[in-house]
Amino acid sequence: MSSLNKKLVLAFLFIFMLGSFGFFVIDKATKSRIDNIGIIGQVPSFSLTNFDGSVITENQLDDKISIVSFIFTQCEGACPIMSENMSILQERFASSNDIQFLSITTDPDYDTLDILNEYSSSYSNNNNWFFLRGDILDIIELSEKGFFLSAALLPAGHSTRLVLVDKELNIRKYYEGTIESNIFELQSDIVTLLNQG
Amino acid sequence: MANKLFFRSALISTILSYLLIFVGGLVRVSGSGLGCPDWPKCFGRWVPPTSIEQIPSHIDPTAFNIVLAWIEYGNRMLGIIVGFSIIIMTVIALIYFRNNSKILYSALWSLFLVGANGGLGAIVVSSVLNPFIVSLHMILALFLVSVLSYGTIESFKLIYSSKLSNILLSKKISTSLIALWGLIVIEILLGTGIRTNIELIAIDNPLYSKGELLNALNSYKYLHSVLGFSLLFLSIYLCYLFKNDFLGLSKQLVYFIFGMILFQIFLGELMIFFELPQLTRLFHTWGSSWLVGIIIILYNTLQYEQS
Repeated sequence: MSSLNKKLVLAFLFIFMLGSFGFFVIDKATKSRIDNIGIIGQVPSFSLTNFDGSVITENQLDDKISIVSFIFTQCEGACPIMSENMSILQERFASSNDIQFLSITTDPDYDTLDILNEYSSSYSNNNNWFFLRGDILDIIELSEKGFFLSAALLPAGHSTRLVLVDKELNIRKYYEGTIESNIFELQSDIVTLLNQG
Repeated sequence: MANKLFFRSALISTILSYLLIFVGGLVRVSGSGLGCPDWPKCFGRWVPPTSIEQIPSHIDPTAFNIVLAWIEYGNRMLGIIVGFSIIIMTVIALIYFRNNSKILYSALWSLFLVGANGGLGAIVVSSVLNPFIVSLHMILALFLVSVLSYGTIESFKLIYSSKLSNILLSKKISTSLIALWGLIVIEILLGTGIRTNIELIAIDNPLYSKGELLNALNSYKYLHSVLGFSLLFLSIYLCYLFKNDFLGLSKQLVYFIFGMILFQIFLGELMIFFELPQLTRLFHTWGSSWLVGIIIILYNTLQYEQS
């Protein structure tokens, strides 16, 4: 009987150690998610026109979590997938007022406000997604110097990455806009940011 | 000599496989399944990178999180260790036990299951953690520990010649034990279904609270609870059937089963009425794998006595 008790104590100790190990690992993983979306840079000031004619500046990013993409409407490769993925995220986070989406055209010559308006209606179901145009030189500067994304040989040379920007206009992380696992990651990072307040 | 050798390798394989299920569960609850975006290597390396500079240029560094990468890789490394352990066990079986079909087939089946589940691990990653495939990965692991537990107790009986239990494997006991095992497998499938559905709902509704997630579940979540309590009663009945076992081993195992089911119900209620603490989920899953293996061991301690 005493040998049984001894075994029980040993088993209990083992389970306790395993539990502590599990707790440690889960805690590490949770903290690593926050560390992994450290601040990369700050969104500079900009002024662009939304498809409805309103002027959007960096002040629009204040107090909202923003997902930013560079696209153009005639693009047939990556852009439809990127916009479709943003559309899915828009729907999934529809109940939150703290999230917004920005898509900036890299082909402002062709993408007039009317065309952007039409493009927006095929992806966006809410008024928290801005489709923006402006002077091509401003857009190149915003992409390269503001978001650190290459913008050579526009319109087609735009980056296919989505940018996560926090409520204080800090650039937090980049995601390949056409890769499902990256979108998965982006979604869980948005939740992490929201939980942080 | 050969008996002891096989028993040892089977026991080690079984214990390591149970640890592997624990670590695999840890990967799931900590959300580390995509810690390595490629398979079998991790960011193109056999040893996961420790800094972002080590990531080869063709792999996108966006997903790089050193902690998650090492958690996922820990699961893979332990999987490889289990694989080698089962290969050794199979070699022993092929050399010494070609005439013992119980031993030989348990070894060959474990080898097949561990290989298949390793391959399924690759699909888990490439499917971006499709909840169905993740659950299938877990269910295959349950089959693996079932077969390994069987191999372990069968080889134990070869070296331990005295009786393990003085309870006869009567029709009543046999039926009760088989029913308990079958119902526990069904219970695990129901639980896996709940887990899968919660994850699917959470992907589409990342802002749902725990209460909203539970409400969105189908009504079979109640079936899981009801069946859980039925299992408790069945195990109480088994304790009654085994009350006369003065040799002790089978009685201890029956009490263990009863205690484990009670503990599982406790953990289950904890998850419903409080938050879904990840550690609770982990032990709830792990406990169910214990039940599956222990019942097989218990059943086979009794079979020995009759022959």
